[in-house]
Amino acid sequence: MGANVGKILKGSYLTAFVALAWYFLYVRNADTMFFMQDRGWWNSTFLFWNDCVSVPGGLLSWTGAYLTQYFFYPAIGTSMLIFLWVMTFALAKWSFRVPNEWSFLLVVPLAALLCSDIQLGYWVYILNDVDYVFYHPLGLFAALLLSVPFWAYLPVSLKAKRWIALAWIPLIAVLFYYPLGIYALLAAVLAALQASLYFSERAAKSFALQLSLFALLALTLLLVPLLETSGTTLMRPDQPWMYGFRKFEFEKGLRDVSLEVPFYVALLAPTLFPFIRKIKTKRLFYSQSIMVLTAAAVCYSLFDRDFNDYNFHAEMRMQRGVEECRWNDVLREAAIAKAPVTREMVMFRDIALLNRGELCSKRYLYNNESVPPVLVSDSIHIRIADQAADLIYFNYGETVFAIRRAIERCMHYGYSYYTLRMLVRCAIVNGEKENARKYLRLLGRTTFQKKWAAEAQRLVADDKLLPTDECFRMPLKLYNEGSELVGVDDKYVELTILKKWMYSITADPEAQEVALACAMMMRDRNCFWSQVQQYYNINPGKAFPTHVQEAMLFEVYELKMQGVNLSFVKFDDRVLQRYKAFTERWRQYAGNGMSDKQLWQALRPEFGDTYMWDYCAFRQVQTN
Amino acid sequence: MNLKRKLSAVALEVKPTSWLDDSFGELHSSLFILMRSVANSSLFILHSSFILLLFVACSKHPSLPSDFTQLDAQPSIWPDYTGVTVPPNIAPLNFLVDSVDDVVALIGEQIYGGKDNKVQIDEDEWHEMLAAAKGKSLSVSVYTRKDGKWFGYKPFVINVAEDEIDPYISYRVLPPTFVGFDELAIRQRNLTNFEETDIYNNRQISKGLEGQCINCHSYQNYRTDNMMFHTRLQHPGTMIVSDGELLFVDLKDESMISAAAYNSWHPSLPIIAFSTDHTMQTFHTRDISKVEVMESASDIIIYDIKKNRVQTVLNDSAELELFPSWSPDGKWLYYCSAHYEYKNKYEDTEELLQQYRTLQYNLYRLSFDASTMTFGQPELIYDAVSLGRSAVQPRISQDGRYVLFAEGPWGLFHIWHTSADIKMLDLEAIDHSPLTIDHSSKSISSFPSEEAGRDSMVNVQWSMFNGQCSMVNVQPINSPLPESYPSFSSNDRWVMFESRRDDGNYTRTFISYFDREGRLHKPFEVPAEDPEYFRLLLRSWSRPEFMKEPVRITPRQFYEKALTEPIKVDGK
Repeated sequence: MGANVGKILKGSYLTAFVALAWYFLYVRNADTMFFMQDRGWWNSTFLFWNDCVSVPGGLLSWTGAYLTQYFFYPAIGTSMLIFLWVMTFALAKWSFRVPNEWSFLLVVPLAALLCSDIQLGYWVYILNDVDYVFYHPLGLFAALLLSVPFWAYLPVSLKAKRWIALAWIPLIAVLFYYPLGIYALLAAVLAALQASLYFSERAAKSFALQLSLFALLALTLLLVPLLETSGTTLMRPDQPWMYGFRKFEFEKGLRDVSLEVPFYVALLAPTLFPFIRKIKTKRLFYSQSIMVLTAAAVCYSLFDRDFNDYNFHAEMRMQRGVEECRWNDVLREAAIAKAPVTREMVMFRDIALLNRGELCSKRYLYNNESVPPVLVSDSIHIRIADQAADLIYFNYGETVFAIRRAIERCMHYGYSYYTLRMLVRCAIVNGEKENARKYLRLLGRTTFQKKWAAEAQRLVADDKLLPTDECFRMPLKLYNEGSELVGVDDKYVELTILKKWMYSITADPEAQEVALACAMMMRDRNCFWSQVQQYYNINPGKAFPTHVQEAMLFEVYELKMQGVNLSFVKFDDRVLQRYKAFTERWRQYAGNGMSDKQLWQALRPEFGDTYMWDYCAFRQVQTN
Repeated sequence: MNLKRKLSAVALEVKPTSWLDDSFGELHSSLFILMRSVANSSLFILHSSFILLLFVACSKHPSLPSDFTQLDAQPSIWPDYTGVTVPPNIAPLNFLVDSVDDVVALIGEQIYGGKDNKVQIDEDEWHEMLAAAKGKSLSVSVYTRKDGKWFGYKPFVINVAEDEIDPYISYRVLPPTFVGFDELAIRQRNLTNFEETDIYNNRQISKGLEGQCINCHSYQNYRTDNMMFHTRLQHPGTMIVSDGELLFVDLKDESMISAAAYNSWHPSLPIIAFSTDHTMQTFHTRDISKVEVMESASDIIIYDIKKNRVQTVLNDSAELELFPSWSPDGKWLYYCSAHYEYKNKYEDTEELLQQYRTLQYNLYRLSFDASTMTFGQPELIYDAVSLGRSAVQPRISQDGRYVLFAEGPWGLFHIWHTSADIKMLDLEAIDHSPLTIDHSSKSISSFPSEEAGRDSMVNVQWSMFNGQCSMVNVQPINSPLPESYPSFSSNDRWVMFESRRDDGNYTRTFISYFDREGRLHKPFEVPAEDPEYFRLLLRSWSRPEFMKEPVRITPRQFYEKALTEPIKVDGK
């Protein structure tokens, strides 16, 4: 095969992989990658460094956490990750002397690592690796680098090289097990394979040498992790050999091995690299057929494993929108979602509405049909409590519950920029300034959170700014207007908020509208009419919001609420007409023998934006 | 800093543990030391370089600025060590100054700092200075540089007491958690330097989200040959070191409400007093106290280690008895108790949630006859309820004269109550007029407010029903934020407690000098090698206990014991 053809093939393989990686990481998963960095944690303090390096794989962890930050700008993070993979490809090709026509095989572990980033789905909420994205690519690169047979280039005799190669195997593991974890063991394996092939190719073949090599390797793999971790109190003593390997374990023995497959591939595939150059065929057709098949398998795996659920991505976009107080963007996202949505999406949308004072006038314009909590690995329910409970609680002024959820997530899944920002916000609303400063000090030591920290510092220094700040105005108001109770949420975030607020009597018009909306959502008649009365009392002369008017009509005329005098209410003509049309159409369709489901589907285009339709279509109160 | 000690700390870390010794013997030991030493070399090189840099930086004393503006104020340093009184064997009081570019400090005759905004003092030189200043004070002059200009401040003093402090403390290290127990350790710190090691760390045993709660570590007479702590959730039981022998016991029998909890070692007998209780935790929605902890039922028992037997001491269903604490002569068992009669059904948690503010504890004691193992009648020592307060966690001084306790508005977990303070009672008066319990005299007309009573107890005298006992002035040691869990050093001259005064949420350890005239002095925060340490640390140091020596059982030995089946106790 000509050298040019080989170069073209190699270049094509690399280009194809780079394009695939860019497509999956940036085009399809930019929101996920941003989210993963936001749930990551790195800072320049000695404490963080110590936390990382006190367990095997610590250096990888620290560096991985540092680099993961760059997904703050997904394009930069993606470029850095792809660059690392390209370097890994080049290093492997050079170190293992892989022929150009077979070089696509080197992409296999890289594609596996790419797969590991895009397959997670809702696991991203319960990952406790702040360094997940870069940890393994860095580990693989380091293992390949350490396995380079540098001794082959030394100007010494073959015998001396033999001794150096032998010594290098345990040395790699001994020196690098703590910085690199399992990847140091992979490096030792690769170094042994390199040495074995090198000496066998140079007529230095001897059974004794090969036996020594692999006996030494076996001893190294057995003893080094065992001995090096025997003094530590920071890890389980039964796991020294796999430290740094990502297990997808949850509580009570639940484990999703399928998510671990990419890591097995990334660890095992490189052990075949030394043998690629041994493949004898010179027929380009054979090699390229295999390459095409490999490429097809890689593409299939990537498309198959990419978690492409609409709600999953929408939740992340909406969460970021809520955090950044981009209420219009949140509502735009909510308006796009036509299929059943998650309760978290409903709550994010409601937060945007309440901040715009539209909770009682526009809530039912949006889709409220919701799906049950998502299952991960067929057994783990990912609920709002695990996702963004703190953000939701904060926006309803429930700062203590927000802190509780934030801290518990830190306990289970580690600290993150997101959580620290949340703790700062809560501390500011609670008036716990020193506590806010503590968290801000840490955020100030990160790479991309400094600007946010500086802005928050301004609010800590001058709390008079809070009532006019877009992100603090309503949380502060609801915190001040909310009642003091004791209790627990049992992980029912939405229900906890609704139940508290539907009973809250406040004279603040904006907070009272939240209470009224909660009573409507909970369909509690006593609370609803109490809140209606309170609304009337504190908003004399002001018309009731649209959905409240709809609810009043529906309650009195359809649900036959007794003892309510509606004469004091000035209804909008449009509301009255639509209510009348709704009841007429309802009776008409029901008379045609339509089933309930058919009936509500038929009514949806005309009345799907009303309280009445929501009440009838969803028979039960919809909360998480 | 102290390179030599740093290196010895590394060597300590590599100490082989028993289970491997059994398997590999001496070969393992030497192999291990060799390999681990080489193995960590990359990290070691980084660490060593760092330490070397520090060493070089710190051993080179900076000079004082020649040109500066003198300010008429003391510097604002963190932690606040101005005017504190310290023991002559304490580690260097390193500190920092906020919002400056550089700081140097003249301490005694030596100059430190010159590295960012931190002053880190050489350990050996510090100890020499303390030895020379014993019973006197050290003068500290601070100079800061900001935007190229130097400023000098009025000097402050650090008073050096004659009395040493116990060299070790132990404490729980945990995030300010509420429910989860993924990451929890009991650690020990050498107060004379900065060495800190694990006694037990649940990361050895935790799996996924299934953490292990470890709590209630305690020691007999400040020694570690007799000590204990509980493990909960995974591998539950109680680790007891009895005369150096490690036992793992299931301290729960049918007569008990639940497993044993808060405890106190009898000073001379192999007996531990425990409270046994049902604990509840709930959350506030607005109150920044955040958490309420309450007991729906609690009793007091004693456990005889040698006989492996429990004996009920107090189990009145209308009393919530907690926090037993032996007097150092072993003749009295102090405890606290809240009187509560359920209106609906026993242990109605819903009712208790409504009534949590009425759960207020008084201090009591029982006489104890060691020859018959019998207890006398409860005597009221301190009627906190009549003051609208709740007194818990009593600790008695070694001379038997003083009782330290934490006092808050209600309940028992005062570290969550912003108005909680440390109090100290002088028992000399009360010994002559013991009181018998009289529930009829206790009544609560209304909820005490958080602030009520905060300052009322600063008064030196407190009236009892038929006698007087003195309250020691505790104003120097309390703050507007929570204080809790006080204890005396083995020589009674130091009072240690936990407080959230730094930021309101993270618990830190403070120590105050208690002089022979019965006066408490301004406390100091346990010093850290890097003065920023506690500011950055996102974990609490909780429940500090003094120790005369470090724990000798290794974490691995505790871990291995935890994997075994605990011994069942004999009930009686």
